Amino acid sequence: MSPTVREIIARLGKFTLIRAVLLFLAIIVAVYLTVIIANLGGQLDEIRKSQIRYEIGQRAFGNPAFRDMAPEAVAEMLNELAETEFHRLGMDRPFFPMRSFEYLWRALSLELGRAERLSSDAGSRQVRNILMERLPVTLALFGTSNLVLFFLALFAALFLSRRYGGFLDKLTIALAPSSAAPGWFYGLFLILIFGAVLRILPWGGLVDAPIPDTRLTYALSVLKHMVLPVVAIVLGALFAEIYSWRTFFLIYSSEDYVELARAKGLSSRGIDMRYVLRPVLPPILTSFLLVLITMWMGQIVLETVFHWPGLGSVFYEATQANDTPVILGVIVIYGYLLAATVFVLDFIYAIVDPRVRVGGGAVRQ
Amino acid sequence: MQNWLVRLKGLRRYPTLVAGLLFITFFIGLSIYAVTAIPYDEAIRLWRGGPGVWEDTPRNAGPVWFDFFTEGRTPRTIVIRSGDTGTITEEAVGDGMKLAEIVLPFQYDYDGFPAELRLYSEAQYQGSREPATVSWQTPDGRTIILQEDRKLKTVDTYYISQDQELRMQLSGMAPQKGLFVSPDDTENLLKGDYQLVLTTQVPETAELEAKLVVYGQLYGLAGTDHRGRDLMIALLWGAPIGLMFGVLAAVGAEISTFVLAAIGTWLGGKVDRLFQWLTQVNLVIPLLPLLILVGHFYSRSIWTMLGMVIALNIFSATYLTFRAMFLQAKEAPYIEAAQAYGVGNFRMIFRYLMPRIAPTLLPQFVLIIPLFVFLEATLAVLGLGDPTLPTWGKVIYDAVDEGALYNGHYYWLVEPAVLLMLMGVGFALIGYSLDRVFNPRLRTL
Amino acid sequence: MMRKLNQKPKPIADATAAGPEKASGPLLKVEDVVLYFTATQGVVRAVEGVSFELAHGQSLAIVGESGCGKTSLARAILRLLPRNVATYEGRIFLNGTDIMKFSDERFRRDVRWVKISMVSQAAMNSLNPVIKLGQQVAEPLLLDNRTDKKEAFERARQVFRIVGIPLAFLDRYAFELSGGMRQRAIIAMALIANPILVILDEPTSALDVLTQANIMNALKKIKQELRLNFIFITHDIATSSELADEVICMYAGQLVEHSTADRFYRDPLHPYAQKLMASVPTLRVYKKPEFITGQPPSLLNPPEGCRFADRCTKRFERCREEPPLFVHGDGTVKCWLYERG
Repeated sequence: MSPTVREIIARLGKFTLIRAVLLFLAIIVAVYLTVIIANLGGQLDEIRKSQIRYEIGQRAFGNPAFRDMAPEAVAEMLNELAETEFHRLGMDRPFFPMRSFEYLWRALSLELGRAERLSSDAGSRQVRNILMERLPVTLALFGTSNLVLFFLALFAALFLSRRYGGFLDKLTIALAPSSAAPGWFYGLFLILIFGAVLRILPWGGLVDAPIPDTRLTYALSVLKHMVLPVVAIVLGALFAEIYSWRTFFLIYSSEDYVELARAKGLSSRGIDMRYVLRPVLPPILTSFLLVLITMWMGQIVLETVFHWPGLGSVFYEATQANDTPVILGVIVIYGYLLAATVFVLDFIYAIVDPRVRVGGGAVRQ
Repeated sequence: MQNWLVRLKGLRRYPTLVAGLLFITFFIGLSIYAVTAIPYDEAIRLWRGGPGVWEDTPRNAGPVWFDFFTEGRTPRTIVIRSGDTGTITEEAVGDGMKLAEIVLPFQYDYDGFPAELRLYSEAQYQGSREPATVSWQTPDGRTIILQEDRKLKTVDTYYISQDQELRMQLSGMAPQKGLFVSPDDTENLLKGDYQLVLTTQVPETAELEAKLVVYGQLYGLAGTDHRGRDLMIALLWGAPIGLMFGVLAAVGAEISTFVLAAIGTWLGGKVDRLFQWLTQVNLVIPLLPLLILVGHFYSRSIWTMLGMVIALNIFSATYLTFRAMFLQAKEAPYIEAAQAYGVGNFRMIFRYLMPRIAPTLLPQFVLIIPLFVFLEATLAVLGLGDPTLPTWGKVIYDAVDEGALYNGHYYWLVEPAVLLMLMGVGFALIGYSLDRVFNPRLRTL
Repeated sequence: MMRKLNQKPKPIADATAAGPEKASGPLLKVEDVVLYFTATQGVVRAVEGVSFELAHGQSLAIVGESGCGKTSLARAILRLLPRNVATYEGRIFLNGTDIMKFSDERFRRDVRWVKISMVSQAAMNSLNPVIKLGQQVAEPLLLDNRTDKKEAFERARQVFRIVGIPLAFLDRYAFELSGGMRQRAIIAMALIANPILVILDEPTSALDVLTQANIMNALKKIKQELRLNFIFITHDIATSSELADEVICMYAGQLVEHSTADRFYRDPLHPYAQKLMASVPTLRVYKKPEFITGQPPSLLNPPEGCRFADRCTKRFERCREEPPLFVHGDGTVKCWLYERG
């Protein structure tokens, strides 16, 4: 490796490391805040206590010595055992600061014990398993729709920037406010039109029932069910993004260095790629980041509306069923997901914009 | 400032701005109307319900203008009260008792069958109840006994249309149909004068009242929901609530971010980096889930939600946009000059930097309002809205929860959705037009 | 489609002077070039029928105040038209060939940069911020398979040496350079494809005096060694005098005088040019700088007749009619005062 490549990797590595650490700190703050809010009324403690009681009860049940005792005596003894356990675990100590950190640690590592009412499809009651089961489902939908959104908006914006003032341009400007409504909103109407009235696409869910047997038919069924949610998600942000990015393209195409590139004899394609697209990517990425963050929020309602069995809908189910451990678990995972999104985009940003790499420090525009 | 005024005049050229302003003016007008025509307490009373509040309105009825699309007259609700169009005749029968007969007549000439039939009665007296007889008289002179020995409670509701025995009596037809046809021609509705007669023996001092409600299929300008609530209440009141929430949240969030961006950018160095990191933290904190957590555990009051939304948006993402603008403004020569003649930090931030950039705050602020309006609706749709307030989101929640799409009550979902959409779009239109005027970057185009 | 430059990158001294280029006839002949733009208020007549010739080995300065059309003229020669162009006409002969007739693609391939290159105003923003310097400078040679990477970068090193930038900077990005360095980089970029004509648009106006002097010296050296032809656009009379052999003066979109530098700086013909020279402060002779009252006319609705007439102290009856370009000695002048030659 030539020294410059080694240099680049070193700088990039240092940059990435710093960003990762800062983001992790951010996650810690976010989760800590959640823990504090969740335990303002002592709910977390209650959950923990009931879990401990459950465990003690299970152990007692298996112990033959207890079978002969009278029920009241058993209950009293279980209570005593529970109290001892509480004391041993330090649950009678004040919440701040030590126990809160304990909860923080458990939350961060997703050790949230058993769900109160929900369970995973595989039958597990462990919160972590429930969440892990749902995670890929959410990622599949989220990933697909946002990739579609990104590339569709990017090329549409580039296309439009060359037709400034034309009819399509004006149409886009008129349609831009449509993104005031979030994806789930469009989802409701899409279900109404395509599901209820026209009956050509499914109302929701992940696959047809009964579940298709071959891999191929299963995949096709999932794809069929993904059509409406993806369209809903994309509609909820598309036109505003196209408008905003086309504006970026216009601004960046009128830069002096673009004009000089033309004078140098570069073809339009060459100019587009190297002189417009690359410099304009940083603000586009920043803008896209904000869209992604908003999307994550909307995911909850969207999945519920479409009965898409991902993290969003399990969150909703947990609120309906009053299942606190699951609620907490989803919030923590969301924190991680959001941080991961920020991180990935920051990384791409660093690759694309040398000012960040070399100059040091984020120069977000 | 002069510059901006000149620009504002040029705004008349933007049709989108005018359209947006029209929408928002409509909603402001709607809000004013809502607050004056149905005062807050009245709205809450009508929405929350309680004894007797929802009795007179049909459930899941469409709006009256549906009639425009159907042939014939779709049935409306008819209410006959004993003290009103109905009559009471009393006759003493000795032993301190009297025989009371309540006749509730009405004319039915609609082209469809009623949705429901209910008889409400109030019998105020002590002591044991004598059985009452409820009978039905049709225009063609038949009398059908609905119930022969009904024990009337003090406050009694007789769900005529759900009476299974009556149904069997009517050869399996639902009462709201069976009572309105002639046995020889069970397909066609018999129009004309009907009567419901309630006879019972009560102590002389007793007060007796009865009300027959023949529920129609259409009601009001917006229809009703599954509880019989007039949707207009929610549609009207949704406007001021949505506006209030959206505007207050936007103000709280944007102004705090703006001020912090000014301070951070001006002071630079560690403060700037700290603020930028705090913005990242804010990005990572999932807003909606936390709101749901709070709503779930503590309070769903709209003020709590509003407070949390503002608190979690102090370092909102627009921080970076403002920061970029302040960075540029910081380089201006007049700032350097001001520093040279000794202007302190505080003054510099508040009197020099902020007023200069303040106009660009406007489009950001307007564009973010729909976000918060929809956030409030989202909370409601998830069932975490303020339980006392009639909002658009709540209506959507009820509609989805009660399967409006499955049952064909499309209006229930479409009406609040359209209003939400229009409000959001209205603000967005204004915001985009303002952006074209005030955004410094766009001026070079 | 291997199409190399008609000369392989030669050692610097031989670069352009020799070869069939030095044929008879002028290097550049501009005939009745017209360039109009559409603006919201109407049509802006930026360049109104400009004609001149430039011989081989001569460099030309185009002077005039802001808005007189000199930058538009440069754009017209390089066919760098904006979105709102309304009219673009005329004939431009480069070594006898009318390049106006070329298709856009041919123009891009055969004229841009390889024959005529440009050093633009405000170098601050003329460099692509996300691409390394060396790549940008070598880029024109890598287009259309003109030459291979190795040669292109070797050539880039050559031109960097000519303009005086340390070779390490080939691997740097634009934001790492000072203003003066960036300007040199732009000049280097303009030289890389061995053009026969370089148009410099206000190359030093954004720089401080010392850097200005440095750049001017570098340009002088380049002019001597490479024997390039320059067209130098500026509103700064003083600096242009160092490099120019001939001067064109423009006013309100028209060419009003074309003289040798000697003549122009000493004793210009056109009344406007006279006023222009009178406004330049001199070092050795005591003179009070003069100024011209009034404003140049709007190019949206230019007046009938001589466009300078309103502000001219020497105007007379004839001036109501637009004067043609008269030949006077070595040059041309657009003024009725010289009707008899």
